[in-house]
Amino acid sequence: MGFTPFIFPFAELEVGQHLYWQLGNIRIHGQVFLTSWLLIGALLTLVVVGTKKMERDPKGVQNLLEFLWDYIRDLARTQIGEKVYRDWMPFIGTLFLFIFVSNWGGALVPWRLIRLPSGELGAPTADINTTVALALLVSLSYFYAGLSNKGLRYFEYYVHPTPIMLPFKIVEDFTKPLSLSFRLFGNILADELVVAVLVFLVPLVLPVPVMFLGLFTSAIQALIFATLAAYYIGEAVEEHH
Amino acid sequence: MTSSIFLATQGFGLNLNLFETNVLNLAVVIFGLYKFLPNFLGGILERRRSGILADLKDAEDRLNEATNSLAKAREELASAEQKASKIRSDCKVRAEAIRLESEKRTVEEMARVKQGAASDLNAEAARVSNELRKEAAKLAIEKALAKLPSKLDDSAQSKFLSQSINNMGKD
Repeated sequence: MGFTPFIFPFAELEVGQHLYWQLGNIRIHGQVFLTSWLLIGALLTLVVVGTKKMERDPKGVQNLLEFLWDYIRDLARTQIGEKVYRDWMPFIGTLFLFIFVSNWGGALVPWRLIRLPSGELGAPTADINTTVALALLVSLSYFYAGLSNKGLRYFEYYVHPTPIMLPFKIVEDFTKPLSLSFRLFGNILADELVVAVLVFLVPLVLPVPVMFLGLFTSAIQALIFATLAAYYIGEAVEEHH
Repeated sequence: MTSSIFLATQGFGLNLNLFETNVLNLAVVIFGLYKFLPNFLGGILERRRSGILADLKDAEDRLNEATNSLAKAREELASAEQKASKIRSDCKVRAEAIRLESEKRTVEEMARVKQGAASDLNAEAARVSNELRKEAAKLAIEKALAKLPSKLDDSAQSKFLSQSINNMGKD
């Protein structure tokens, strides 16, 4: 594309390029780690600074964090149920906040100002490895939740309400992480690509509404991921009678 | 294509191309968020804060109220206790008075009964001595009557009569 400056003079677009780091036998996507660390750092800083001086009168950052806490608590409570939601609230909250900050951080921070040797910085959730890791964590969590709450009786869930459900429920255990990871990955990557392509074609004005739409869908995706994770955990700990 | 990738692998650096980096659109988006998000989120947060403050104030008011009524109840309890102890001491005083009174009355009654007994005894003695006197007088009269016919004759009678007449004249 560099050879066609008169047709596409404004920007370049590259997909599938990564900043590889070699770690033993594993090649890892360095740009994902860089943005993740930065965004996790920002999130931790916000939370630590915001809760450093707690006051009775919630002001500023403390108020925002308490609002988020309330929000996550309500989400976890409605999905998991009154009995065990407290055990899982930190997990759900971490998922929601990390995904939300990743999505918005990827969309709002002008990462492209920094040029990497290969690939480009962006939302960590636009990389399939991140979302698969998160989805597998959710799978582990709901298995752990079910087994720790009900012991081996957890497996009654597979034949509930009739044994005919057994194959479907087994398949579900595979489709759950699959759908979780692909939904998040696909949405965020598509959003980034749409913006990139638009910038590539019409550099000004037109990308702005699409970017706002992207912000909206990223927020929704974070909410969907957290809600589904909580729902799966709630399904695993639910008592069948 | 190959040359651009080759150029891109030169190392870390800054890309200051306005269009490639999409900085202008980002600036617009961030400005828009900065303009509208505080209004939207700030309203929610402010409502939450005022709700919490109102709740806190409500709770504090109720605490004050409860503290006040507790103090009032304590005061009432103290006054009731005082009243009770007063009643108790009054009762003691009254009981003592009643005891003394009844003791006095008993003593008086005993004295009266003793006196009554003594006066009864005196009256009986008087009655008995009266009776004895009457008896003695009766016996004397009977004796005199028994003696009288032998001693009384005409001369003596007339002597007696004249003596009586004389006596009447002296009177």
